[in-house]
Amino acid sequence: MFKHELKYSLKVLLKNKILLFWTLAFPLIIGIFFNMAFSDVEKNEKLDIIDIAIIENKSWSEDIIFKNAFESLSDDKNKERMFNITYTDKKNVEKLLEEEKITGYIEKDKNVNLVVKHSDINETILKYVIEEINSNKEIIETLSKKEIEENYKNGVYTIDYQKIYQEVINLINKEEVELNDISKNNLSYTMIEYYTLIAMTALYGGILSMFMINKHLANMDSVGKRIAISPIKKGKMLLATLLASYLIQLFGLLLLFLFTIFILKVEYGTNIILIILLAIIGSFAGLCLGIAVATLSKSGENTKTGILLAITMFGCFLSGMMGITMKYIIDSNIPLLNKINPASMITDGLYSLYYFDTYNRFIFDIVSLIIFSLVMILLSIRGLRRTKYDSI
Amino acid sequence: MKNIVEVKELTKEYKGIKAVDNLSLEVKEGEILGLLGPNGSGKTTTINCILSLLNYQKGSIKIFDKEMNPDSYDVKREIGVIFQEVAVFEELTVYDNIDYFCGLYIKEKETRKKYIEEALKLVEIEKYKKFYPKELSGGLLRRLNIACGIAHKPKLIFLDEPTVAVDPQSRNNILEGIEKLRKEGATIIYTTHYMEEVEILCDRIIILDKGKILAQGTSDDLKVLANIDEKITVETEEIEEKIIDKIKSNKNIDEVILNKGTLIVTYKKGQNNLGELIDCLKENKVKYTKIYSEKPTLNDVFLNLTGKELRDNV
Repeated sequence: MFKHELKYSLKVLLKNKILLFWTLAFPLIIGIFFNMAFSDVEKNEKLDIIDIAIIENKSWSEDIIFKNAFESLSDDKNKERMFNITYTDKKNVEKLLEEEKITGYIEKDKNVNLVVKHSDINETILKYVIEEINSNKEIIETLSKKEIEENYKNGVYTIDYQKIYQEVINLINKEEVELNDISKNNLSYTMIEYYTLIAMTALYGGILSMFMINKHLANMDSVGKRIAISPIKKGKMLLATLLASYLIQLFGLLLLFLFTIFILKVEYGTNIILIILLAIIGSFAGLCLGIAVATLSKSGENTKTGILLAITMFGCFLSGMMGITMKYIIDSNIPLLNKINPASMITDGLYSLYYFDTYNRFIFDIVSLIIFSLVMILLSIRGLRRTKYDSI
Repeated sequence: MKNIVEVKELTKEYKGIKAVDNLSLEVKEGEILGLLGPNGSGKTTTINCILSLLNYQKGSIKIFDKEMNPDSYDVKREIGVIFQEVAVFEELTVYDNIDYFCGLYIKEKETRKKYIEEALKLVEIEKYKKFYPKELSGGLLRRLNIACGIAHKPKLIFLDEPTVAVDPQSRNNILEGIEKLRKEGATIIYTTHYMEEVEILCDRIIILDKGKILAQGTSDDLKVLANIDEKITVETEEIEEKIIDKIKSNKNIDEVILNKGTLIVTYKKGQNNLGELIDCLKENKVKYTKIYSEKPTLNDVFLNLTGKELRDNV
């Protein structure tokens, strides 16, 4: 009977064009939109120029390496230009920072001091550049020393500062490219959106299971009445429809990954297997959520669909779909909400693969999704068993 | 004969309204029991309670001598239901629909295949087996609906208004099919508001209104309750009041009603009522286009019991 139910559940799902559109085609369409919208954002991110200020003093003017490096990095003609520099005095620089016209300022005395107002990606880049210049400064000084010694050996008593400078700039430029790559990893809106797309696709599978369960409920569909008076056990029926929905959902995920990797050229990085694993378990959670809404809600089919979509979309919103800040606001203020939010479990798991070296958090998210799914199944079975209605 | 279904003092209330009111009934093995009543009389609610689909406040229900509840899988295995609304998957073909529902009862593939062919033949939709429901006419859909409910050869069949909105050809086909099921030994509970159908099919009839049993018995038993022997209808252009009074003077007459050019004369008894009425009309030079005599119908019974017509409520 399980095989019979599974076979026909698959047939019914595969013949329903509307369901197939929402579960198979819609995520691909959203992926295309993301690609169109965010590929420009990616380009813009690379072109972001950071406004900074430098306090002009004697110490700065004498530090040729820092001075030249920042002049080069703020040169209009430089394609890799990173900074827009205002040279000013201490009084004005504080005002500029207060008014947030600059990300930070550099004050050179014995050391190079960086002062920033906030701590975000621009400040990190600025700090990183200073550290890199500092470390390269040692190389430059060694190079300079060697160059001078060499020149002296060869009887040349003038120093080619231009050559030394060029070598340093080359080094810095090389570092700069890496800087951009690192910043992209941390900041990429595109990746955040693709992660959320995976989470959304996984949870959208709930529509499949909800459709099938509705078909099996006597108060929802005339077919459900016929099934309700048949001798099939509810648990068996529930598992068969769940499996059928899951198989279709997994096919949808496969399509999504193939499409984003090979057509949209999305780079999921080295953790692709773990990302797929998370998506597979997330999909199961989505299906279980669909079943739970279908069985526990006494409302009509449209209302149930509305409830499921609302839970899914709101969950995605809280997990950072419409802006990563929301996830941190919820994590900071109402952590429980994201602990029970399947969308958050999925996106959190995906972010953890990027941000953390260990898999503890990832495993925690996987286990959370499994527990969430089991709770949903148990609630659904309880809701289905010995069901009699007040009216049908 | 043993009782297949036993319902005792069933009461079902919903939002303060009694949909079924202290109803008791029994269905004997092999009989066709007709539940006759207008829309809203409680026929479908009674069936849904019997099938354990609906909660009820009071009463007991036994099928095959076993208490019926949602987990009575052994009992359910022997039941077939044809609901008023068509209950099939739009996404499956005719054959697949029957196979799906039959498969919920019959595990063995070969037996199922045989049963499906027999069901298709019974309702005469063999040539449509590869069609999808949306490609079928209303009548064919109803036949598919029946095939899905009976393919597994149930011992007890509930047919809830299976001929609603069906063309005459399909209706005849459905009624013939039900006859065949009875011949094969099935016990049937048949609900309808078409009195002709219960008269043709049913061994016993229960007349329901407002969730209560008004009367029960065979068709002939019930007609006695109508308290009339004959009804003569005269379609005429005009007839004077004094002639109507003259007709009324016949001692066998129960009632004379004139309504929009139709004169209905009901008789309590009498041997040659039609002949006497024709003579009376001739004597008084009343022109008429049609005159015919009918025996009392179940509608007359219902009218007599409730003061309203079955069809008025349809």
